[in-house]
Amino acid sequence: MADLINVYINEVLVSVPKGTVIVDAAKKLGVNIPVFCYHPKLKPVGMCRMCLVEVGRRKIDRATGQPLLDANNQPEIAWGLKLETGCTTPIEEGMQVRTQNEVVKKAQKDVLEFLLTSHPLDCPVCDKGGECPLQNLTLQFGPGTTRFDYNDKQHLDKHYPLGDIIFLDKERCIQCARCIRFQDEVADDRVLGFYERGRTMQIDTLSEPGFDSKFSGNTTDICPVGALTTRDFRFRARPWEMTHVPSICTHCAVGCNLTLGTRRSARDRQWEILRVMPRQNEDVNEIWICDKGRFGHHFTRSQARLTTPLVRKNGQLAEATWDEAIKLVAERLNVVYGHVVGFIGDRVSNEDAYLFGKLFREGVKTTRIANRPHVAGADLVQKYGVGSGTNLGALGKGTVVLIVAGDVEETAPVYMLRLRAAAQRGAKLIVANARETKMDRYAANSLRYKVGTETQLVYGLLNAVNQGSGIRDQVAAYTPAKVAEITGVPEAEITAAGKLIAEAKDLIVVFGDEQPYDIMVNGQYTDAGRALPQACANLVVATGHAGKANNGLLSLWPHNNTQGVFDMLAANGAQWTPADGLKALYIVGSDPIGEGQTLPKSEFTIVQELFLTETAKQADVVLPALSFAERDGTFTNAERRVQRYYKAIAPLGQARADWEIIRMVGEQLGLKWTHYLTSEGVMAEIAATVPQYSGTEYAALAQVTEAWPPVGSNDLYFGGTAYDNRGGVGVQIKSGVELDGQSEMNWIEPPVPSAESTLHVRQLNRHGTLIDQSAVYQPRLIDAPIEPAQVLKGA
Amino acid sequence: MTQLLEKYPAEIEKILDKYPPDRKRSAVLPLLYIAQKEYGYCTPDAIREVAGIVGVEPTEVESVVGFYTLFYDHPVGEHVVQICNDLPCALRGSEQFLDHACKKLGLDKHKVEHGGQTTTDGSVTLESVVCLGACDKAPMMQIDLEYFERLSNEDFDRIIEEMLAKSNHG
Ligand code: SF4
Ligand code: SF4
Ligand code: FES
Ligand code: FES
Repeated sequence: MADLINVYINEVLVSVPKGTVIVDAAKKLGVNIPVFCYHPKLKPVGMCRMCLVEVGRRKIDRATGQPLLDANNQPEIAWGLKLETGCTTPIEEGMQVRTQNEVVKKAQKDVLEFLLTSHPLDCPVCDKGGECPLQNLTLQFGPGTTRFDYNDKQHLDKHYPLGDIIFLDKERCIQCARCIRFQDEVADDRVLGFYERGRTMQIDTLSEPGFDSKFSGNTTDICPVGALTTRDFRFRARPWEMTHVPSICTHCAVGCNLTLGTRRSARDRQWEILRVMPRQNEDVNEIWICDKGRFGHHFTRSQARLTTPLVRKNGQLAEATWDEAIKLVAERLNVVYGHVVGFIGDRVSNEDAYLFGKLFREGVKTTRIANRPHVAGADLVQKYGVGSGTNLGALGKGTVVLIVAGDVEETAPVYMLRLRAAAQRGAKLIVANARETKMDRYAANSLRYKVGTETQLVYGLLNAVNQGSGIRDQVAAYTPAKVAEITGVPEAEITAAGKLIAEAKDLIVVFGDEQPYDIMVNGQYTDAGRALPQACANLVVATGHAGKANNGLLSLWPHNNTQGVFDMLAANGAQWTPADGLKALYIVGSDPIGEGQTLPKSEFTIVQELFLTETAKQADVVLPALSFAERDGTFTNAERRVQRYYKAIAPLGQARADWEIIRMVGEQLGLKWTHYLTSEGVMAEIAATVPQYSGTEYAALAQVTEAWPPVGSNDLYFGGTAYDNRGGVGVQIKSGVELDGQSEMNWIEPPVPSAESTLHVRQLNRHGTLIDQSAVYQPRLIDAPIEPAQVLKGA
Repeated sequence: MTQLLEKYPAEIEKILDKYPPDRKRSAVLPLLYIAQKEYGYCTPDAIREVAGIVGVEPTEVESVVGFYTLFYDHPVGEHVVQICNDLPCALRGSEQFLDHACKKLGLDKHKVEHGGQTTTDGSVTLESVVCLGACDKAPMMQIDLEYFERLSNEDFDRIIEEMLAKSNHG
């Protein structure tokens, strides 16, 4: 390792990289220097003085520049006259630090005594009580008594709404500025600030809307006291009453690791989720999640959930037993003539999708099919996606990230945080979109093209790089000058961006689906829909950036398991032949009618769902499925990391996991499927039979690695009992090209927009079946695209 | 919200010109002075307008207003009189000087010492403040932005009377 420096903490030697601050060096040794304002994910500010330590440095002989030695040949140490803040002082060679002598102890007591002069000490009713750094450090380092007059305490607003969801208790705030710094340094949404100074200093916002950034909930985690609380969780439970269950967010394809805080209610004896907190995974979400992930869990306990099977009788859906429903389903699937077609959404687990594909392959007799997710390019990402070992948190100098036709913040919020941080570490972002997005702020090059010309732009960049052997003739036509004409992006900018790409050591191409073309028509991918992913794939192949860690394609998939469902269906050879006059249609976790599509005509329709969706209302049989929180399973995120989630709450009513329902159907159809007793069994088969998924058995997915910074450690050094990753960090599977070494380029003629082409805009906070169940999140939800309409139209 | 920009386009442009285009936020203080002069204090709308002009979040400008004692977030008198009551001034009798000032203006010393108080006719706000950096000329006070030093009770009466006469409040 480069530049290790030796320091002595309480006379114990530790070697740490240059630039490490004293508190972190001590933490490496397991020595906890108390901190409040310091947070390893934020820049040090030295505001609270909690981390004072005594520091000694070697005396240096001015003449020789060498350390002076004492009689024992040891360097002579000059101890500082004053204590220093361990959170802002970087270590130096030969430095000595004392963290627990009398002087330091006295200072710690004094700082705590001051902090507590105006703290309400209402721990018995405080959400943070039990995992509160102030509480813990006071017990460990504080004075037992105070010399200040109780009547001098300030009395301030205890329920001050900073936004729709976050409340501030002004009395509890210790002015550490972690929340302000998070908004500034991490979320880049400077809506929190200090107001006044000295003893009357408080957190406030004057922004409009107030504190409702996409990431606001994270401040409640890193606040070292109970000053920031959420409307969702405040006053609902004490941390120690909850069971903490590892899980995965289901709201987007980042796949943030979560911890679900659950409890069985004394009132109705039902298990429920009380809070959602991030679970540390430095390869995925570090310690952050977005607010949709945090507050979007209420659908798991919604009154509107389906709890029993329904069967249509005399034109009405009526409750039925599982036995009755499954028999009926099997009977109707067991047809000899005509088609049976399956649709599966891309929110279900890998196990669900795998068994569904297998049911169609082995169980259904007639022409059978299972439908693919409604996105283009999953095959290309399977092949040329970011290589195994990719970590967005490690990108920096030498890396170029091209983002095209996607709004990272709206589609995969946590990627925005990670890519912004990468840009700050020196990675270069090229942000290409038809409209402005937040990523433009961090872009080395912002390319604003005319709606629908994204593919031409990508070829313009490839042309500027001057590669692309397989498709050289076609690319040759897309000179920067010509592409400038088509896209409206100045030629010089195309050339400049091309130069960045040409010089990149590592290249990641992120693509979204903010384009105006139909991706599927009659169940077939259109060329217009596939053109952009293909162009992006051509770019990474042509420039030699496929099949390596921190290189390749990354798609902003619309749902949490788009890639996994695609992979599972592909493994079962699923495909689609458009057909009408179906004998049966079997739809799992998908609501095409609710999304404005029409269903093919069918004699019999089966819907497996959480809710009575528009599609379910049309069904002949409705099978109640379980939410992610009531079962276990795995998802594959956009970076193709397979991650495991665990059962956190008891199933609602008679609902069952999707894979289990499919197994029941399969067995009824006569398949010998008794070995699929658990989802683990299904995954074991996936790992054994799907080449890319080898090594994804449950035991492997549950492996944890030691994480730095240790925010989730048992000592509660940074607070937050839920950060601890006990569920596994998952396994990033290999891309196809890593397995077979074969890559190729293909040409799809770039589509040409018409004046009527309307940009397909993705927004995190659009209404939807699941998120609409979260009352607390309602103020954030929106109906229509935020952009002015003219921006969204083609040339 | 473009009232200030409409009313003081030249002044604002001159201020902005002093700073490089990517450092426009440096103009926050002078712009707030314009706002405060216009409305008597920094109103939330004025804060938002200033934020808009320099391209930062209103919250950031609000923090500046909250931090500096010479910016007011609530209506104050036409003139603000600040009497230093810090240690060096106190050693030179500023306590008694403040007593006198309160009596002269008919104000309650406790209120003056806790956030300031404004005369009923709205002409003067009196505040007791910490060191203004003129300890060698104590007792002293600052009226609006001007310093008055080595003061006696008589000086106070005279200065206040002249000031009020000028602004037709006498
Ligand atoms: S609200 Fe919490 S995080 Fe923010 S300054 Fe106060 S104590 Fe720190
Ligand atoms: S970024 Fe995506 S995965 Fe992460 S919490 Fe938000 S919605 Fe969930
Ligand atoms: S000053 Fe070091 S932790 Fe606050
Ligand atoms: S103490 Fe009054 S000016 Fe310094």
